[in-house]
Amino acid sequence: MSGVLLFSFFVVITVTCYLATRKLFLTYRHPLLNPVFLSTVAIITMLKGTGLGLDDYRPAKEVMTYLLGPATVALALPLYHNRMVLREHMLPVMAGVMAGSLATMAAALGAGRLLQLDTTVLTSLGPKSVTVPIAVEISRLAGGDASLTAAFVVATGMIGSIMGPSLLSLCRVQSPVARGLALGTVSHGQGTAVALLESETAGAMGGVAMAIAAVFTALVAPYYLPLFLQ
Amino acid sequence: MARKLFDICWQIVFLWLVFRCGVWLVGALNLSLPGNVAGMLIMFALLASGIVKPGLIEAGSGFLLKHFAFFFIPISVGLISFGGLMRQSGLELLVILIVSALVGAAVTGTAVQQLQQRRDR
Repeated sequence: MSGVLLFSFFVVITVTCYLATRKLFLTYRHPLLNPVFLSTVAIITMLKGTGLGLDDYRPAKEVMTYLLGPATVALALPLYHNRMVLREHMLPVMAGVMAGSLATMAAALGAGRLLQLDTTVLTSLGPKSVTVPIAVEISRLAGGDASLTAAFVVATGMIGSIMGPSLLSLCRVQSPVARGLALGTVSHGQGTAVALLESETAGAMGGVAMAIAAVFTALVAPYYLPLFLQ
Repeated sequence: MARKLFDICWQIVFLWLVFRCGVWLVGALNLSLPGNVAGMLIMFALLASGIVKPGLIEAGSGFLLKHFAFFFIPISVGLISFGGLMRQSGLELLVILIVSALVGAAVTGTAVQQLQQRRDR
């Protein structure tokens, strides 16, 4: 198949998978019907089935992910809309998000080392609680693998949004501010979406936590991750 | 409809320019910060200082954020090269992801609640 044809074919397939799985998710609202997860499985299965490889998919991938940069910049808007909540709860937000980010990284890398995972995998685990575009960049700068990190981020988002609310209740965390921050810190956008279902305050705090955790992790990762990699 | 589409397009171009500024700044100052994070911080500063009104980027940002998840699909397809790793240590990785996510959520949740209770007392 010629290059242009293959390229168009992959773009159409990816967009179609996304729209179909998004529709499915919006209809049933079950966390296991995650559009990214389902679409990725579908496309990988298709590549395997047709004998095509990642090299064939790459040109289409480059073009489709091109808008990820401006999309990350767009995250400033929800943060701006929540600036009042942020100002009102400055200390708990900062302390809680930083403690949670450091704890989740330490737990992941500590356990990973114990299980003797290799350095690339460990590095890719580091920024897994941060929203994908930022996690991928942190991982790349630290020597990890972008697609591994993306998979860890999406999995963490699903885990946190499925198990997070029950765990918080088990720990007797009832304050909507605390619940929203915890879900946003660990499970970025997916956690924020669940927090939003609990209450508006929790949702706003989730968005704030997601942004702060991303910036904080990006700032500390170059110094913090190497501590676990020696 | 056409008007909305036009707004989305030029606003995305504007967000892209801010993104490029972030990438440039990080390179020029030799920071170990991702360029897109720098771009987001620049955008927040522009909004907070009132130089850019939120309405100016509402349509473009709304569109990109609504379909945020789309961009992760092509990236995740890269996992195809990690079939061996998933077969070999998939279960370990899943355990690590679950444990570390729960640790993080418990730490943030309890820390914030403690701080709030102390303040309210």
